[in-house]
Amino acid sequence: MQPAVTMKGVTKHFGSTRAVNDVSFEIHRGRVHALMGENGAGKSTLMKILAGVHRPDAGEITISGRTVAFADPREALAAGVSTVFQELSLLPNLSIAENMFLGKELIGRFGIPNRSEMGRRTAQALSELGMSLDPNTLVSELSIAERQFVEIAHGIKADAQVFILDEPTAALNAADVEILNTQIAKLKAAGKAIIYISHRMDEIFAICDDVTVMKDGTHVATQPLSELSPDGLIALMVGRELSDLFPARAKNTGPVLLSCQALRLSQDSDAISFELRAGEILGLAGLEGQGQSEIVRSLIGQFPAIRGRVAVADQSIGLPLPTEGGVRFMQNLRVGFVPEDRKEEGLLLGAPIAENIGIALQAARPGFRPLARFRDAVKRVMAEMNVKAESSIMPVGALSGGNQQKVLLGRYLAADMDILIIEEPTRGVDIGAKAEIYRLLRALANEGKAIITLSRETVELIGLCDRLLVIHDQRIAAEMAGDDATEHAILNAALTQ
Amino acid sequence: MTYTHIPSPPNKSWGRWLGRNSRQGNWWAPLLIILITVVILLVTTDDFATSQNASNLLAQAMPLIIVAIGQMIVVVLAGMDLSVGSVMSLTTAILALDGSPVVLILLVILAAASIGLVNGFAIVRLNVHPIIATLSMQFIVLGIAQLLRPVAGGFVPDIVVTVVTGSVLGIPAAVFWAVFVVALGWKLLHGSRFGLHLFAIGGGAASGQTDTAHNFGLKDHRNIVLAYVLSALFAALAGVFIAGRIASGDPGVGSQFALDSITAVAIGGTQLSGGVGGLHGTILGAVLMSLLANGMNLAGLSAFLQGAIKGAILLLVVGLQSRKKMGL
Amino acid sequence: MTNFLHSSSRIPPAYFVFVALLVTLWITKPQLMNLNVMGVFIRQVAPLGILVLGQLLVMRVRSIDLSGAGVLLLVNYLIASGLLGDLPLGLVLLISLCIGCAVGLFNGYLVAKRRVSAVIATLAVTVIITGFVQFLASGKPPGNMPDLMNDIYKLKWGPVPLPVVLWVTLTALTAVFLSRFVYGRFVMAVGENPTASHFSGVPVARTVLVAHVSAGLFAGIAAIVQSSSVAVGSLRLGLEMPIDAVAATILGGVVFGRGDGGVWGPFFGVMCFALLFVVMISFGVPEPGKQIARGLIILLAAIFYGLSTRNS
Repeated sequence: MQPAVTMKGVTKHFGSTRAVNDVSFEIHRGRVHALMGENGAGKSTLMKILAGVHRPDAGEITISGRTVAFADPREALAAGVSTVFQELSLLPNLSIAENMFLGKELIGRFGIPNRSEMGRRTAQALSELGMSLDPNTLVSELSIAERQFVEIAHGIKADAQVFILDEPTAALNAADVEILNTQIAKLKAAGKAIIYISHRMDEIFAICDDVTVMKDGTHVATQPLSELSPDGLIALMVGRELSDLFPARAKNTGPVLLSCQALRLSQDSDAISFELRAGEILGLAGLEGQGQSEIVRSLIGQFPAIRGRVAVADQSIGLPLPTEGGVRFMQNLRVGFVPEDRKEEGLLLGAPIAENIGIALQAARPGFRPLARFRDAVKRVMAEMNVKAESSIMPVGALSGGNQQKVLLGRYLAADMDILIIEEPTRGVDIGAKAEIYRLLRALANEGKAIITLSRETVELIGLCDRLLVIHDQRIAAEMAGDDATEHAILNAALTQ
Repeated sequence: MTYTHIPSPPNKSWGRWLGRNSRQGNWWAPLLIILITVVILLVTTDDFATSQNASNLLAQAMPLIIVAIGQMIVVVLAGMDLSVGSVMSLTTAILALDGSPVVLILLVILAAASIGLVNGFAIVRLNVHPIIATLSMQFIVLGIAQLLRPVAGGFVPDIVVTVVTGSVLGIPAAVFWAVFVVALGWKLLHGSRFGLHLFAIGGGAASGQTDTAHNFGLKDHRNIVLAYVLSALFAALAGVFIAGRIASGDPGVGSQFALDSITAVAIGGTQLSGGVGGLHGTILGAVLMSLLANGMNLAGLSAFLQGAIKGAILLLVVGLQSRKKMGL
Repeated sequence: MTNFLHSSSRIPPAYFVFVALLVTLWITKPQLMNLNVMGVFIRQVAPLGILVLGQLLVMRVRSIDLSGAGVLLLVNYLIASGLLGDLPLGLVLLISLCIGCAVGLFNGYLVAKRRVSAVIATLAVTVIITGFVQFLASGKPPGNMPDLMNDIYKLKWGPVPLPVVLWVTLTALTAVFLSRFVYGRFVMAVGENPTASHFSGVPVARTVLVAHVSAGLFAGIAAIVQSSSVAVGSLRLGLEMPIDAVAATILGGVVFGRGDGGVWGPFFGVMCFALLFVVMISFGVPEPGKQIARGLIILLAAIFYGLSTRNS
């Protein structure tokens, strides 16, 4: 029987990164097809191509034998591909019915939208999912679970042939998950193809029939799940060479510099507590979007945690911290935060290198004081970090990614922070710069400073960190020493705890 | 934001009742205030409860109602049109020229449409901030109006005056105007695909999901330009009404309407950040402001103080709306 | 095309326009090109020049201040009407400066803390102040300006009129302050990228607040200079000044967030306005022409910057 979807040699670049590299496999009707892979494996990009958000640079995609090329998600939906994205694409100020029919409104007499008919059809699609929501409810009033079901109903109503479900149970409780599974079974029986992206091993093995594993943008294997065990599946997902990029780990650690107590990210999540010692690099590992970023951003007031306490520099502070002054407050306590998006959140791209490096130093002083040039500090930092630039007055925007990242890190170096919270130490940075940054971070730790870091690259965390906390579902799933950590163990802890 | 923020579900009962989670915006408040104001005025002044005063009130409120509807179209998109006042002034100046009424009306339409096109084009294609674009157009158009008519004067065609101030079967023309304009406004905002798309684009702008509307295949650029053209056309319509009332051209007549229309829109519960609002709210807001002016007049309050009070109301109402951005 | 725009946007248009206007005048009306005549025109724009100093500060942090007209009106009325009774002139002037600061503080609170749109906030403040002043004036009309003020206005320091000296001095002080003091760095950072500034520990809200207070103070100073240039108090004074200030600032290379023009770019922007007024008067351009010119300058400059930064 003809496959519902075939991918042949699909490739997609973003700048110089190859997010998806020559991927080919088939998805069959009436089967639930799992798509698995670590962070950065390329599965989201691949699904976004199928959903019409991105266009592939090479390769061919067919739906039911017909070659397709989508210009936007609406075309994809029209061709029968329905996606429930992780970043929900419902407009919060529109009602359920209005969202369902956006772009394809039913127009009645005099050009007036036929709201009653749209409402009726919406209610019907919703009731098929066991929901009795009023179609005129605004999406902003729905819970996350309800929003996800609305997105699925959208696809059902659109009579899609292929359903892409991206982490559909992320915000669902057990009862909702049951409803979802019933729906999936119905769709399966109706001959639809379902692509299921999830990080929950038990779900995968319970619901899915086949699995495709991707790694580093390439296709690794496509097999029926009946032929695999959870361990074997994980083995397919990992298995990368750990290179000699990383300097030796710490021999011993000093006193506790920062202690996070009973942090709760949301009403239903567990309490998170951990300590950070002088001389250690602590990593928050696990799959993407499990709460790592929220945890560190809570420490500076950028994420409104529900409750918790932070003890640092002989002070005990209750969370949530105020958004506006949180960063400054923490900087005064010598805690520096390095955001992950250096272009949007980190650097002043139009300003010279010297300004970017010195700005945290300047920020610590009152505005009416004369400028201190901090020339020496800037020079020292540029030398230590080996920033390759003609002079310190070049605008940072003109530097390469690696050098930009060094400038960003250099800012906190110059400001002599005791504790560094880094969201992505080497994102978009070439291998040479990576090694330099790792060396520098280790040197900082050896001086008695402490570093918490997140990274989407698990290999990086394993190589760099002394200790790892595996975060899953907004709580600590496991803790392991850097020496004992392997990708396999981390994924195992994340997926099975 | 690259991390998934998991928001907590909004408070349903109270918020819904107060209109906070409704897309119509909070229009209970202006309605309540209107009722209270009417009661106060009925009790404290003698002149208020006459039919003469009522039809006067409607005629006085008409220009603001018309302009506010046009302004709301643009505000729903998270934009703003500061040039509406000058468009009104220009309209009266054009109508006070010598020429056949048909030609003059056509000229008015052409002028307004062009101004709207320039605004929309500058905003959508040339990347100019809506406030800067419409603010600069305010002066350009005002200058043109002053060139045509340096001082108030001239004669507006009789047909225009009749259409505005006459009556049919004893019903004043203003009533027909009101019905027409409200129906038109309703059709554009709530009774058409265009209106739905406006709210979608505005909602995307308000929640930071700027790609969503585009991903659904909505022609956001074209809709935005159209919205600014409509705003200018509504302003021109309001200018025609005023020209009919004062029967002459006056370059200064529109100066307060830019801020007044924004105040009316904001009072009516439309969010300046886009995506939320209802036509009835805007109309109530405009009516409320006219009512307040009427009341303040009857109470003998100086016109200058009235202006200051209007400014304070604008600050109060806008200050109650929340915004993520700081600055312009 | 965008490359050309991008590189040429480094040099503020004010310099080109200034030269162009100068040349135009030299060719067409050489009799005006003497120091005395020029001196008069330049002295006339000194208040605008001082107002521009505040405007450029506020625009550099991505805000705007249109309340200068209100401050001007209020101060002018206060001095001319003798409302404050027999207070010595020095005290009245001090009160005027305080008024400017208070208005700036209110603006700053609205913009930085309540996050009201700066245009709406400052326009509304103008409307409130203007209405209030006009109301007061209807009961107690403004009278004559104290002779002392008129006399000081006419003083010269060598060949240069005193107001111009004040203007240039304030400009130089502002330039030094921005480049040599920490606050200047804050302004640069917030204008460049408010989010990155926040993560660097820069006090973003406070920076914007101080910018508005400073703009209010400059408005107060400008108001005093402007008031001393007229013999009688007036209620029509300076309603377009804040807009001219925006135009001059944009001409000078300071556009929302960007400060390529520094402080001297807008300075030349104001000089352009001086020459522009000369050109318009000598060519008999009617008053409405000025309105159109104002709007056109802002629109064209905004388009210019919008195009040149779009692809960078």
